[in-house]
Amino acid sequence: MVILALAALAAGILIGAGDLGNGLTEWIASNTDWILGVLMFSVGISVGLQEGISAKLRQYHVRILIIPFGTIAASVLGGVICAAITGYPVNQSVSITSGLGWYSLSGAMLSELGGAELGSIAFLSNLLREIFSFFIIPFAALKLNDFACIASAGATSEDTTLPMMIKYTNGEAVVLSVLNGILCSAAVPVLISLFYQIPF
Amino acid sequence: MMVILIMVLGMAVGKLGFPAKLKGLNEKVQLICTLLIIFSMGVMLGERENFPETLSSLGSLSILFFAVPTLLSMAVVYLLTKRLLPDRSGDHPEGEESGEKGKRNQQL
Repeated sequence: MVILALAALAAGILIGAGDLGNGLTEWIASNTDWILGVLMFSVGISVGLQEGISAKLRQYHVRILIIPFGTIAASVLGGVICAAITGYPVNQSVSITSGLGWYSLSGAMLSELGGAELGSIAFLSNLLREIFSFFIIPFAALKLNDFACIASAGATSEDTTLPMMIKYTNGEAVVLSVLNGILCSAAVPVLISLFYQIPF
Repeated sequence: MMVILIMVLGMAVGKLGFPAKLKGLNEKVQLICTLLIIFSMGVMLGERENFPETLSSLGSLSILFFAVPTLLSMAVVYLLTKRLLPDRSGDHPEGEESGEKGKRNQQL
């Protein structure tokens, strides 16, 4: 799967950069919403086929929020560390890492707030988070635990990276993954606006 | 929001009697769709104006801004869940799933 994913990414970059696309590749690139819709329906079927998930989730109670809380707090802390390394102002650095993998929104918001350079870094770094999650999840499932897989995906854990969760974790982790994605996605615009405005 | 609604619809279909013999086909659909989405991300990245220049000038910064929060998120969530959530990594709803995951991991 990892090799297939790498090959798909490399082929996409080559076709996009070399302007080698034909009707089919253009159709694929411009209809990702439909592809994502089919994917989510299919993932939903997989989750629905598994039994006893809701009962297990109820056992977590409020501890279910540990994953989104940990993901957001660590990403913000990561922004502070990046500021110390790069010399970027802390508010800009934390705003970038608050994208949590939602590259389209964070790129657009930070282009508007802080200019093209900041927007480009936000776009690329959050796109890398989404792309590399596809490759990190199998290894995190093996070496750490299912919850660490969810954390790597951040806001994308509710949609694009969900099939990797299905493949490498269990049904319970998939539902936690969706919940984490929803909460992280809701937090992204708030965090970016909030941190960018704080002068530190 | 729409993708969540679509997923809930899929869950209802799975719950209300999706034929078990089509489970394999359903997994193939997920694989194909995932690869198509990664491919389209690549196309979008490659099509960006001045992509090679942007990558060379801002690439290392972007890698840093991606790697630090991602690795830190994994570490923090791993440590928090190890202490506060029961480890159910191998506790799968269907008995055979656990073995299946193990096999997949071994194939990596």
